[in-house]
Amino acid sequence: MSCSPFDLRDYFLRELADPQQRQVEAHVKVCQQCREELDRLRITEAALVSLRDEEIPQRIAFVSDKIFEPTPWRRWWAAFWGSTARLGFAAAALLSVAIAIHAFRPAPAPIGRENSRAAAAVAPVSEDEIRQRIQAAVDKAIPEIEARYAKRADQLVKAVELRHLEERRRIMAWADRLDLEDKATRMSAYNFRESK
Amino acid sequence: MIFRAVEDADLIRQAARGSVEAYNLLVSRWEKRVYNYLLRITGNREDALDLTQDVFLKAYQNLRKLDDPGRFTPWLYRIAHNEAYSMFRKRRPETDVEDIEPGGTGMGITVGGSSVFPIELSLAVASALERLSPEQREAVVLKIYQGFKFEEMAEILSCPISTVKSRLYTALELLKIELSPVKARGLS
Repeated sequence: MSCSPFDLRDYFLRELADPQQRQVEAHVKVCQQCREELDRLRITEAALVSLRDEEIPQRIAFVSDKIFEPTPWRRWWAAFWGSTARLGFAAAALLSVAIAIHAFRPAPAPIGRENSRAAAAVAPVSEDEIRQRIQAAVDKAIPEIEARYAKRADQLVKAVELRHLEERRRIMAWADRLDLEDKATRMSAYNFRESK
Repeated sequence: MIFRAVEDADLIRQAARGSVEAYNLLVSRWEKRVYNYLLRITGNREDALDLTQDVFLKAYQNLRKLDDPGRFTPWLYRIAHNEAYSMFRKRRPETDVEDIEPGGTGMGITVGGSSVFPIELSLAVASALERLSPEQREAVVLKIYQGFKFEEMAEILSCPISTVKSRLYTALELLKIELSPVKARGLS
């Protein structure tokens, strides 16, 4: 049992405050028993530290690729969803905007009244009159459609004739060129024979 | 004293804002210490390496929850302690954690090539440490090898300072008896 004013082991492990540390230091100088105990502790510690730290066999592989690093925007987004306060504030702001829009929007006209006015403006029409109107519209539309079709057919015929004429001209020109080439070939063959 | 251009606290702040480079630098500063802590409480190199990897991954995921960067070290070791004990429980769920003994005798061959200490002494130390209970051994590792204060040890082990001191002083008494004659022989 130690007679030190404070725990000798606390002193040895440097866990005492400075004044207490100094008191124990002074005590140990004059106390043989405590000095011997302190020596035993020092020997034990020295033996323990003979076991050295090992080198780590493999460096800790931590993702260092830039690709895996979150962008500022993603960090902000993650922080936004992770923060209850921010989410609450955003929800309150959205609600305020919705209330403001609702307050300043012009009120829509009542639907029921408008419909009754339109209904009143339309006078009642008999079935015969409707039939006559339809017949008149059909009679008017048929000649218009026929005239439109006739005009379009005429345009198509003219276009075909024009294209046929152009085609014929191109073929004639091609035949003329072939004929000329044939003549030239014959002429050169004749000249070749003559030169021999 | 080693001069550090960037303090750990600055790296922690940068890493918390998403800088992987800052976190990598932090890992490179602490990986050896954390590995050796885990090696001494598990007694197995592979387990220690796997756990070290897990510890730094978990620390990165939870870095934003660390309010005071000045408390990074005990916070990191607390994660390491939890990871190690979680592994012990998974392996032997029916066994009480107090009865769990580290596997293998990895510490017994831990003698650095440039060590000035005789092999006999290192083996005796490893053997003496293995005879301690896991809690006593962890207390010795945190105090003697890792240099933590009682307050930090209490935080890491999640127990009162009185418990920390009790475990450590009991362990030191046992080690003193075991190692005094060996040390005397080793250095003579």
